[in-house]
Order: sequence, then C-alpha cells, then structure tokens
Amino acid sequence: MQRDRKMKSGGLWYSVTIRDRDGKVISRERRRARSMLGNWYRILYAQMSFSTCSLVGTNGIDRGASWEQENWKFKAAADEDYIGIVIGTGTTPVTIDDYKLDTQIMNGTGIGQIRHLASTPGSPSVAGSNCEFLTSRVFLNNSSGAITVRESGIYCRCKGPTYYSYACIVRDVFGSPQDVPDGGSITIDYTLRVTA
Amino acid sequence: MTQEEETKQKSRKARNSSGHVLNPELSYKVEVTDKDGRVVQREDGPSRSYVRQWNEIFQLQAGAVASGGVVKDTSGVTQTNAYRTSVCFKCDAGIGYTLTGLRVGKSSTPVSISDYALGAPIAEGAGVDQLEHQLTYFTAPSVVGTTLSFTIQRSMVNHSGATISGIWEIGNYISFTASMMGRFALGFRDVLASAFDIPDGGAITVTYTLKVTA
Repeated sequence: MQRDRKMKSGGLWYSVTIRDRDGKVISRERRRARSMLGNWYRILYAQMSFSTCSLVGTNGIDRGASWEQENWKFKAAADEDYIGIVIGTGTTPVTIDDYKLDTQIMNGTGIGQIRHLASTPGSPSVAGSNCEFLTSRVFLNNSSGAITVRESGIYCRCKGPTYYSYACIVRDVFGSPQDVPDGGSITIDYTLRVTA
Repeated sequence: MTQEEETKQKSRKARNSSGHVLNPELSYKVEVTDKDGRVVQREDGPSRSYVRQWNEIFQLQAGAVASGGVVKDTSGVTQTNAYRTSVCFKCDAGIGYTLTGLRVGKSSTPVSISDYALGAPIAEGAGVDQLEHQLTYFTAPSVVGTTLSFTIQRSMVNHSGATISGIWEIGNYISFTASMMGRFALGFRDVLASAFDIPDGGAITVTYTLKVTA
C-alpha cells in the first residue's frame, strides 16, 4: 500500500531491502530515484537521431554512444559486477555527468565484497494510466563481516562508433546507510514507470 | 503577433498536475507561422504523455530480449515477436516521411496510456487537410548546471490551398523491430490546450525537449 500511495507519477523509483541470514527484513528504504543520469539520455539521443554523441563509460574513457542493438542492456548474470544494478559505499552527491558509482562494491566473498546474483528486467505491465517494469537484484554478503551500502546504480551496455563499453545510467545515494550483516542480503529494486 | 497577444499565448500553458519539475522531464512547444514566417499561434508546456510502447521498447533493450516481446504498432496490430534492435526509438524522419517522427493530428481525445497512434493524424501531401512534413532536426545533448537536455523538432508546411484548422494533438512515432521487420510505434502523444489553425502557406513547428536533472 505504501508503494501505491507514493508511486503516483512516472519516472524511476527504487527500493532497498536488507535481510538478515534468516531472510527476515531488517531495513527498507523506498523513494523516487532523482538520479537518472545524463548518459541515459545520451544513448536515447543516439538512438532517436540515429547518430552519435560523446559518452564517458564506467572506465572513465569517452567511447561515445551510437545506435546499437545492445544499448541499454542491463540484464546481468550472476557474479557480473560490470553490468546491471550495482551498489557501493560512496556518499558523494549525484551529478548529471557521473559515469560510475563513487566507490563500487565488487563481486566476491572477500572483505568488503558482495556476491552479485543474476538480474533480469521484468515484463512491462499496465495498470490504470501507468506502464511500468521492475528490475531487481539481490546481493549476498558472505564476506564474514558487515558491509555498509550507501549508493546504488545501473550499469548498461553501450556501443560507441567503434568500441563497446558500459555506461552508468542511474546513480542514487541512499537517504540513510544500509548495513548488510554477514550472511544477510540487500535487494535493490528499480521500477521504471511512464504515466499518461 | 502583438506583445499583448504573445503574452496571452505564453500564458496558455498546459500544467503538470503535480505542479513540480520531474526527473526525467518531457516538454513541448508548438508554433504556427503564416506564409511570411510570422508567429501567429504558440503553446508550450510540460508533456505528461509517454505511452506504454515507450516503456515496452525500452524493456526489450534493457532485458536484451531476443524474441517474443509484445508491442502494438501504429496500425493497431499487436506485434508478438518484438526484440531488441539497433533502430529502437529511431525517429529521424526525412522529408515527406510519416511512418516515424513528429506528427500532428486533429483528435482531441485525452491521452491514454494505451494509445498506439495519433487519433486523427494529418497525412503527407498538398491536398485538402494534408501537410508537407519536413526534415527532423535534433540538437545534441548539452549540460547546463545539473540538467542535460536535447530537442527534436519538425515543421509541417500547409500547401493545401486552404487553412487547416483544428490541430489538437501532437506526438512522436518511433521505430522498433518485430518478426525481422521494421515496425513503428507511438512513443508519446499530447493533446494541446487549444486547437491550432495553420493558414495556407503557413507551417506548424513542433519541438519536444527531453530533459533529465540529477
């Protein structure tokens, strides 16, 4: 019900859910994502105009954006931390030209690492005057210590005139830090909604 | 247009019901000019009217969907084998081309999320109630402060020999792919606050601004 009450208009929304090792929800944050980045629209420009423009990938290099069938792909397999929904520990405020998370948490089970599970955008559904789809990703903390997560985002596939790259198209800094206990998990949901 | 008339036109803006700027934001401007290029009618305002196909096509890309996507095309046919494509959202329509790109029409039916075409699109040509569709222009993305934006613009010229009245709707047709064929879908549609009349020899120019603010 909270979801319905808050998600009245179009745009991008996210929620963060923390579970302990028994699957019990211990924290939740849900809000409108203010942080669809410029790179999302750079790819959109390339697609709509069937031309190219500059775009700095997650590696910090400007490979540009062009029209390409893999543009915007953020379906991710397990253990892939270079594509899909990603998380980090940074708190630097979001800017329109962010090209990566501030401090990404990488895949793994070592200290400060977290297991990335597979993630596939769901099918769009229409309800009332809205059309939306949900993309969800679960991260498991098997690092033997607690991990504090402060930011999330989406990395997608992008092709420039010559090279493929990955682009950060969304970045959000949480309203409050989220502690993931050892053995626990964090689930990030992004919902993209259009409203007529 | 006199200053008083222009002020009146500028104040005629469609309002966003929630009353605040959204991220992302889509807005439009419509201008009618007479045969001498003088602006005779104008409206601008926020668009609230992405329709379902916009999200459905985006999901094909995000999910790297290889087959089986469902998108209704502008002819009303539900395509059941849509998939990711390099031409998704393509709308750089050339002169006289109306399968994609910005269009105008005469229907004042309110926008619905399930709209798949303009209600009564104006056809290409110089006959009665026809317009000559010009080249589509884009401005490259630019960042000002915390905002990135770009625009898409198209003019349509009236050489029909008479005024074309009752233009109520504007929208954008975009490309997608289904069953190995190029298809076309409605991406967004807006109903104007008032009807526009295009004098013979005049033109209507539609500009959409796509903007995102971090």
